Amino acid sequence: MNMLKYIVKRIALMIPTVLIISFVVFFIIQLPPGDYVTSYVARMSAEGEFFTQEMIEQMRDEYGLDRPWYVQYFHWMKGIITKGDFGYSFTYLRPVWSVIMDRLGLTIAVSLITMLFTYLVSIPIGIYSASHQYSVGDYLFTFVGFLGMATPNFLLAIILMYLSYVWTGTPYIGLFTQEMMQNGLHLYNFGEFLKRLAIPVIVIGTAGTCGVIRTVRAQMLDEQSKQYTLTARSKGVSEKTITYKYCLRAAINPVVSGLSNSLSSIFTGSTISAIVMNLSIQGPVLYESLKNQDMYLAGTILLVQAVLVVIGTLISDIALAWLDPHIRFEQRKAA
Amino acid sequence: MEAEKVVEVVDLHVDIPMDEGTLTPVRGVSFAVRKGETLGLVGESGCGKSLTSKAILGINEKKCKASGKVLFTVDGRTEDLLTLKYGSREIRQIRGKMASMVFQEPMVAFHPMYTIGSQINECTRLHIENDKEKSKAITLEMMKKVGIANAEKRYDQYPHEFSGGMLQRALIAMALVCKPALLIADEPTTALDVTIQAQILELMKELQREYGMAILFITHDLGIVAHMCDRVAVMYLGEIVEEASVHEIYKNPLHPYTRGLIGSVHKVGTKKQDKLFSIEGTVPLALDLPKRCGFYERCQKRKTGVCDQGKDPSLVDVGGGHKVRCFLEGQDE
Amino acid sequence: MGKKNKTSESYYQASQWTLMGRKLVKHKLAKFSIILLAILYCIALFGNFLAPSDLVAYNSKTKNCPPMRVRWMHEGRFIGPYVYGLKTERNMETFSIDYREDTEKVYKVHFFVHGTPYKFLGFIPGDLHLFGVDEGGGIFLFGTDSMGRDLFSRMILGSQVSLTIPFAGALISFVLGILIGSLSGYFGGVVDVIIQRIIEVISSFPSIPLWMALSAAIPSDIPVVRMYFYITVIISFISWTKLARIVRGKFVSLRNEDFVMAAKLAGVSDFQIILRHMVPGFLSYLIVDLTLAIPGMIIGETSMSFLGLGIRSPATSWGVLLQETQDVTSIALYPWRLIPLAAVIITVLAFNFLGDGLRDAADPYK
Repeated sequence: MNMLKYIVKRIALMIPTVLIISFVVFFIIQLPPGDYVTSYVARMSAEGEFFTQEMIEQMRDEYGLDRPWYVQYFHWMKGIITKGDFGYSFTYLRPVWSVIMDRLGLTIAVSLITMLFTYLVSIPIGIYSASHQYSVGDYLFTFVGFLGMATPNFLLAIILMYLSYVWTGTPYIGLFTQEMMQNGLHLYNFGEFLKRLAIPVIVIGTAGTCGVIRTVRAQMLDEQSKQYTLTARSKGVSEKTITYKYCLRAAINPVVSGLSNSLSSIFTGSTISAIVMNLSIQGPVLYESLKNQDMYLAGTILLVQAVLVVIGTLISDIALAWLDPHIRFEQRKAA
Repeated sequence: MEAEKVVEVVDLHVDIPMDEGTLTPVRGVSFAVRKGETLGLVGESGCGKSLTSKAILGINEKKCKASGKVLFTVDGRTEDLLTLKYGSREIRQIRGKMASMVFQEPMVAFHPMYTIGSQINECTRLHIENDKEKSKAITLEMMKKVGIANAEKRYDQYPHEFSGGMLQRALIAMALVCKPALLIADEPTTALDVTIQAQILELMKELQREYGMAILFITHDLGIVAHMCDRVAVMYLGEIVEEASVHEIYKNPLHPYTRGLIGSVHKVGTKKQDKLFSIEGTVPLALDLPKRCGFYERCQKRKTGVCDQGKDPSLVDVGGGHKVRCFLEGQDE
Repeated sequence: MGKKNKTSESYYQASQWTLMGRKLVKHKLAKFSIILLAILYCIALFGNFLAPSDLVAYNSKTKNCPPMRVRWMHEGRFIGPYVYGLKTERNMETFSIDYREDTEKVYKVHFFVHGTPYKFLGFIPGDLHLFGVDEGGGIFLFGTDSMGRDLFSRMILGSQVSLTIPFAGALISFVLGILIGSLSGYFGGVVDVIIQRIIEVISSFPSIPLWMALSAAIPSDIPVVRMYFYITVIISFISWTKLARIVRGKFVSLRNEDFVMAAKLAGVSDFQIILRHMVPGFLSYLIVDLTLAIPGMIIGETSMSFLGLGIRSPATSWGVLLQETQDVTSIALYPWRLIPLAAVIITVLAFNFLGDGLRDAADPYK
């Protein structure tokens, strides 16, 4: 069927994109002058340790850092494709993938929950704003929306943490309490986890939420003035059906195509917020690894995020094709 | 004996409050359409004909305020449609089932993301039969009747796969599937090729003969009027300025505007050197209208002191059902 | 009837830009935003003049001092604006330093004083400051930070960076976006495919991780001007792709239009067609996008500087100033450190409102 051909074609196109991404990532990672050994030596020397040139050369050789970067890239890719080996983390002293796996689950969970929150909140608000244009509620939501978009999210994080501290007495730093770290996540402390999840989700999701509200509102306003609503009304269709079955279906188009952007902005937002709020997701790890020039770790995190965004684009394109017959028609024409 | 009236519009006003003041695009329109009859509503763009027709079904935008009476009679029961609340269940039972509408641009009249079949069927399921299988059968029957070839296949196709003429047939199918007593056709052929136009008009006439419905046909094309209509009402600046049978209108147009309209239709046989006749000026904005004959500015026969008396002329019957609104024709001063 | 015709004449004959301008001015929020932004940029331009101290002056004796009040009446007499000196006491509960006003020491505020020298616009030497106090005192309108530096001065001087880098970055994105987008859209074919791939790759990266990675590549000991330049380039690195996509889309839909065909038949060169026939049609939309891209860059630069990966000392920006708000305790104790946040929010809101107003104005016939 056509959908299947479309999906296969898109996945095939994904592969060269991912390859180029890995190339670009590696190039960027090795740009900073010096390498892990340089910064390691610098740090250790500051603490009084002494290194001979020989020792430095030896370390470089051990880590494979003395070869030109494109050779290193080649070895890295070979490792990934043949063995699933993403390299070695110099700071954590274990394979990169195990470091990432520690946090990957949580990162994806937080991202998905934030995305869900974003769409669940913003779509109804957008619909409401469009059908009650210029009402008090509309202005209020617009204003709060603007404010949310204008505040850098790491500061929103700090302010919310401060407020939660003032109101409840305990600062909600981190996603897990000491107790949870020791005993793991169970039903009884799940509530606590959710409470602590609230602030990060709000912080990370705010910018996206406001954007979606604005988009949905604008699109709904557009659709509501279209001819087909008149036709539907003349048939005797109810206002509610017109709003949800007809207008929303057309308006949701740009929202779906913005899915991958949403994911991208969640990774962006979560990185800084995580650093500030001390969340155990990928953000802080990336930051540290860039500072220490732990290149394979930094590179892999970047690669994983970029690939996830590409997958997100694929999913949103497929969803779009399913939603909008026009696009399927175009694909058929072009094929 | 005259057929019964299906819809009677009495002194309809439509006001639209705006920042600059209140627009009055419809200022006291009255007419009636009888069973089996086609009334043509003729006028230039901006004279208020669309707003009038949409006001009957109550589908104007919320900010348009309609007042007056729209008396709708079906199965012996009469109801004033204007008393029904916007979007209420009562008016929705009438829309699509007892009175329906066909629009000007079929290309944008359907929702692009649902199949034509399902959109027509929505009307069937709302008013006649909710069962999926049975309603689909009724819909397919109607689609075939309006001349859509290969109806089963077409049922599952999307609007962008249809041509303009096909879409208009589909729109007619949707409007007539419930066999309404009144069909309002708002310039249904304006956006179509001339040959398709003829086909669609024939289709409508045939279905009218079969169903016996009343048709309110809105157009600015006098050629179509001659072909389709039994009676004609000419509208200008929110008022009916002349109303008569179609023969009377062509044989003996009384209002200067009507005369101008008929005069501007290019007739076969005119000499090459003759200039194309057109009425000077354009329809003024319906805001803060001065109290005088609406056509005063553009009338070639206007008489100062008579036609700008400080009030509007009223619609007067000059005999045989021929009504005119003009100080210079059949008015008692 | 004559009067109505005249206004409608001018309406139909006005150029695209006149129409836009007229509609924009009607939009109250946009008008307000333009004025506000003009003021902010003027403050930045004359920053060195307006700020009483410069970036490097610090004094451990005035650490974490709250905002000072400027007074006018002293002991019942009007003596002109002045501030009190500072007395320090150690708070026995929190063990931090409390500041009290020392009513013995009166430091008058003078206007147009000669203070620390600076270079206006980078090369015109001067040392005139709008206001300053007598020798020995300090005037801290917004309080001080943990090194005793005046927040007011640092905010004004920081605005020079926080307002210009995003603007320059947006301009670069704009030019790059139009150039690359039009090449891609107009010529199509292989050129299009390659550029599309590049755009896809770049836009797959979440912005802040990418900026972090690129900033890590900036050596820490380069001259300030070059640092500004690198950061501007990094920030515009992702945004041009969004614009290029839009431009390409418009070109693809326009290049089959009749008027392009007509121009080609008339012998107009490709370059001319792009520049004079196609671009003006959607230029207004691009300007809207440009204006709306700036807030993202402001937040981007602020975030980067906050992390220590953007502007580094001796330069400063609002993001650097916000580093002082890193934890909850410092906000609780020194809430005035959040003032730069207000500046960021106001500027971003102003650009957003302006962009919205421009967008409404770009459809003048609606």
